[in-house]
Amino acid sequence: MNSLNTYLFMALLLFCIGLLGLLKRRSLIGMLISVELMLNAAGLNFMAFNRFLAPDPAVGQVMVLFIMGIAAAEAAIALSLILALFRKIRSVNVEQARQLKG
Amino acid sequence: MTPAAPNDYVLGLALLTMGLPLLAFFLVFFLTRRSVGLSCFISLACSAVPLLCAWSLLLGHWRMPVPLLWEVVWMSSGGATATFGFLLDPLSLLMLTIVTSISFLVQVYSLGYMAGDPGKGKYYAFLSLFAWSMISLVVASGLLQLYIFWELVGLSSYLLIGFWHHKFSASEAGKKAFVMTRLGDLGFFLGIIVILLHLGDLSILGLNQNAALKLGPGLLTASALLIFCGVVGKSAQFPLLTWLPDAMEGPTPVSALLHSATMVAAGVYLVSRIFPFYQASPEALAVVLAIGAVTMLLSSTMAMVARDIKQVWAYSTVSQLGFMLMGLGAGGYFAGVFHLTTHAAFKALLFLCSGVFIHHFGTNDFFVMSRSGARGLKAPMICLSVAGAALSGVWPLAGFFSKESVMGVLAGLSNPLWLVVGLLGAAMTAYYTFRLLFVMWRPCESAEDPLHGGGHGEHAAWAYWVMVLPLIALAVFTVFLGWGGRGLEAFLRWHQEGVAEAHHGWLVWASVLVVASGVGLAWLEFGRAGAAQAGFLSHLPALERLFARRWYLDDLYRLLLDYVVYGFFSRLFTINDRRVVDGGIDGFCRGTAGAGWLLSFLQSGLLQFNLFSMVLVIALVGLYFLLV
Repeated sequence: MNSLNTYLFMALLLFCIGLLGLLKRRSLIGMLISVELMLNAAGLNFMAFNRFLAPDPAVGQVMVLFIMGIAAAEAAIALSLILALFRKIRSVNVEQARQLKG
Repeated sequence: MTPAAPNDYVLGLALLTMGLPLLAFFLVFFLTRRSVGLSCFISLACSAVPLLCAWSLLLGHWRMPVPLLWEVVWMSSGGATATFGFLLDPLSLLMLTIVTSISFLVQVYSLGYMAGDPGKGKYYAFLSLFAWSMISLVVASGLLQLYIFWELVGLSSYLLIGFWHHKFSASEAGKKAFVMTRLGDLGFFLGIIVILLHLGDLSILGLNQNAALKLGPGLLTASALLIFCGVVGKSAQFPLLTWLPDAMEGPTPVSALLHSATMVAAGVYLVSRIFPFYQASPEALAVVLAIGAVTMLLSSTMAMVARDIKQVWAYSTVSQLGFMLMGLGAGGYFAGVFHLTTHAAFKALLFLCSGVFIHHFGTNDFFVMSRSGARGLKAPMICLSVAGAALSGVWPLAGFFSKESVMGVLAGLSNPLWLVVGLLGAAMTAYYTFRLLFVMWRPCESAEDPLHGGGHGEHAAWAYWVMVLPLIALAVFTVFLGWGGRGLEAFLRWHQEGVAEAHHGWLVWASVLVVASGVGLAWLEFGRAGAAQAGFLSHLPALERLFARRWYLDDLYRLLLDYVVYGFFSRLFTINDRRVVDGGIDGFCRGTAGAGWLLSFLQSGLLQFNLFSMVLVIALVGLYFLLV
């Protein structure tokens, strides 16, 4: 149980759930949550590789800390964008934001 | 025979001769065109110095041992090198002297003839341009250089023929001359390319020495004939002869300079320049002979019915050029060149004399001139008679000797037909020349009143004398040039010691008889007291019309143009334009728009659709790397 493959499999599962949510949810908030899931899958990957393969344990942890920071910044920006969009079209549904249709 | 390098003195003289007319052109055309006097002075000075240089070169190199060659490399690409320079041998020295002399005399003459013309400055600029191109053509050391100046000569001829461009017929004539000579030049250029590809050497010396050894007989004949196409165009030979009579629309001094003495002689000069090359191919020489013969007969018949004095001389120029080519085609290098030399003198004289009459009476019709009192102008009348007699080949004038030597070459051929053609041509020449002279001498007192005035109004005495002085100089040459034949022959045949063209004692009498019969017929019809002054051709209206319409050659060209060029090629090109070019671009545009319309379906505006495509593509790429 306590092997690299288990963690990698978990990370893959987490990433696929995030991707599915990103493609399927029509609400921007749901999509943002899905993106967070995918980011965390990547972080899990880093930690797993760090734990089982890397000699220096600090490297992977630094990476994950960075990912967390980026996720926080991203959430702030994305939420403000969603807020701006909501003020414009009174909705957070992506299907309503189709002005770029060709 | 290896050429020598010229010493500094000769180099300076030659470069002066080649450079000054160009300098004059630029100065006059760009700076002094507005001030007529200064323009004339610059142009005349830049024509007199080359004249002196040319004469001193000719006299200084009389009996020269080897040709003088001076070249600079203009550009080289791969194995082929294009050089510019000059090649001085007896032929080019002789021609250089002829060109500079006639050009100078014509420029002096033009002072009087063009007096009062608003475009006189421009006219002198063009004359200088012509002199420069012609001089450079004459001394050119390689075929490419010769070709470049050949085309420049064509350009300046176009400018000068159409000098009075406000006259529709003049601009048309300029265009016709340009297009028709260009048609021949196409062949010339192809010939140069053939020689460059197979011989790799365009220098005239190399061509004359090595071509026969290195080229196969078929290729030799082909390239010689292609080059001859250019000669046919420039010298107005049989199928392309009709541009020259039309070119008489230009001012008369221009006709004298370009269309009798120098420019049209360039074709004959080219054949004699690379004469050993032609000699290596008997087939090509036979074609030259045949084309010359046909041209001579055709244009002589045309001259027999013309009423325009310049037209008569134009046709006679064409026929004499044909005669020179006959001489060359029969293998008579000296005969052809000798006739070229004497012809330059007496034909320029004929044109310049006619110019005096045209200027004075304001008409080109010599019947009208005669009635208006052409006999009153003593000096031009005498010169005209001398030159006409020389053209007919009357002893002891220049034409007699040169015609005699061409006849001698023709008599040496195995087929007597060519001699008969030559004699027939001589008879016709004597007939039409003396027809004109008798009409001028003996005005017909017909019902029409004599016409007075017209022309350029009252003329200053100085203008008349400025025009007459060159006439006298040319008349002196016309009278005495024939006696220089022996010396000239020795000069031109420098490298073939002791080869003299055969002389036939009976031939002199035969040609004298032929000329006498031509003159006699003209006297019967036009000269004797009470003559009706109507040629025997007026009894044969069909034939007369045929001759007057130039054997329907122009109509043939019209038909060819209408049906082949406009009817066939232009239509094809129009269809090509509409369907292929326009259609292609339209189709391309429609295709682009359609593709854009198709691709626009990808832009649904739905964020997740784009995301999905992205994931799909990445997945496919990943799959590809996974599998391969």
